[in-house]
Amino acid sequence: MTFRELALLFECGGDELVGVLSLPEREGGEVGVLVVVGGPQYRVGSHRQFVLLARHLAANGIPCMRFDYRGMGDATGEQRDFEQVQDDIRCAVDTMMERIPGLRGVVLWGLCDGASASCFYARQDDRVLGTMLLNPWVRTAATEARTYLTHYYWQRLRDPAFWKKLLGGGVLVGKALGGLLGTARKAGAARQGAGQDPVQSLPARMASGLASAGKPYRVVLSGRDYVAREFEQVAAGKPWAALEAIRDAVRLDEADHTFSTAAWRAEVARVTAEWVESMGREGAR
Amino acid sequence: MHRPAREAFFLEAQGGGRFCLATHPVGPPKGAVLFVGPFAEELNKSRRMVALAARAFASAGWMVLQLDCYGCGDSAGEFGEADWATWVGDVGLGRGWLSDWLQMQGRDLPLVLWGLRAGSLLIADHLATEPGARLLLWQPVTNGKQHLTQFLRLKAASEMLAESDAKTAMTRVKAALQAGETVEVAGYAVRAALASGMEAAMLRLPSGGTPSVEIVEVGAEGGSVSPAVAVLGERWREEGIRVGMQAHSGPAFWNTQEIETVPGVIEASLAALERLRS
Repeated sequence: MTFRELALLFECGGDELVGVLSLPEREGGEVGVLVVVGGPQYRVGSHRQFVLLARHLAANGIPCMRFDYRGMGDATGEQRDFEQVQDDIRCAVDTMMERIPGLRGVVLWGLCDGASASCFYARQDDRVLGTMLLNPWVRTAATEARTYLTHYYWQRLRDPAFWKKLLGGGVLVGKALGGLLGTARKAGAARQGAGQDPVQSLPARMASGLASAGKPYRVVLSGRDYVAREFEQVAAGKPWAALEAIRDAVRLDEADHTFSTAAWRAEVARVTAEWVESMGREGAR
Repeated sequence: MHRPAREAFFLEAQGGGRFCLATHPVGPPKGAVLFVGPFAEELNKSRRMVALAARAFASAGWMVLQLDCYGCGDSAGEFGEADWATWVGDVGLGRGWLSDWLQMQGRDLPLVLWGLRAGSLLIADHLATEPGARLLLWQPVTNGKQHLTQFLRLKAASEMLAESDAKTAMTRVKAALQAGETVEVAGYAVRAALASGMEAAMLRLPSGGTPSVEIVEVGAEGGSVSPAVAVLGERWREEGIRVGMQAHSGPAFWNTQEIETVPGVIEASLAALERLRS
């Protein structure tokens, strides 16, 4: 199946956003995908991942839109972070619904902090049918320290080269220990803090967003990515555990944070199309 | 201030539509500017800075067209299908669209080619067959071969190879390209026909066809432009081309981790465009 693309300008809060809609040649896709861009990227994505994803989806009968939120890429307005893009997502959903006849709703597809923003938005809008979360960004100072402790220090302690260096004087022992203890303190604060202030913490707010939305979601995790490791740590603890977010997670063991090869991008595109198609079938029943 | 009106569209061309964003001038038009961008992540990272500049230029009376080359940005095609000659052709495509627009204005107005990084090399190769435009060059790449080597190094960097292994990897990558193969670097498939064209490209101008050039760079200290650019600028002056050169302090917005902007570069460029009119 072939596709066509439409360049769009649309309004949001007095600013002008730029989007591109990839449409299947044949109308009828009931569930669309809205790419919520994450990280310091505009609508095409690192190594054009979002462009290629959109074209793959459209070629498989699924309409897809990518866009710049205010202050990013070609959009006007002030720069803002993923905590402040809820209105932008709403304007983009409005645009997709207006432009695509017969569209029942959309899946939000977010990488990194685009996934975090999608968690916040999912419950606010009935037209959002589900969320696809790729290497979701859950970072706080405490989660970062905990992941670093587990993955970096533990690996270093098991690395013979580290001990050789240590014994040969190649490592400043005091500095290495100081770093380890400082990180452990921060990580400990994370464990204590977890139960105290769930309203403030980013991962807790994401979990409550997803839980109250009550919509299907799918998690995709890269093997070579600290952001994904942090998410796994968070997902194993409260309040995420109840969501069982990683039970059915799709794992790309060799992939990095942005899926920077054609093979990893293709796998993500395939998984996305498959999941969105299954939602379309469920909706039709 | 009144916001410039914009149009987003795909311009039909060989191989599929090229994504275009046209920002219309506010007030009586002074001329037209075609943006010719860098490629790969430099294109992504610089997008906001370029968009801010395009709106500033339009607010000052310039028609600005941003066109994504084949396989880049939102344009049709895969990066791995792109070659250098097609990109050079895309400069002509954008210029043609702006020339038509200028003609509709019914007055003799200047046309400026505005390059960023490797975009300047594309402009130089375009001018070899179609001279006559004025140039605004941001942080121009002067040597395509060096630029390609720097890009290919990203492959070794991403695989976190040690120094000696990195050298071997580079040799292997270059040999593959020589043999006409495609190599994947930092998520981008680079075709031999893209690499060879870039490798041969130099920032040079045809004699007699370029009335004036304005160069704006970003430097850590600000003040003077980089040595290679300064040498080039002096040579152009000797050939009778009017050359302005300046640098502003600020981050290298085309390859910083976070999205950065350098307002001084935009202000300097507004003044440079005024000089290019005369």
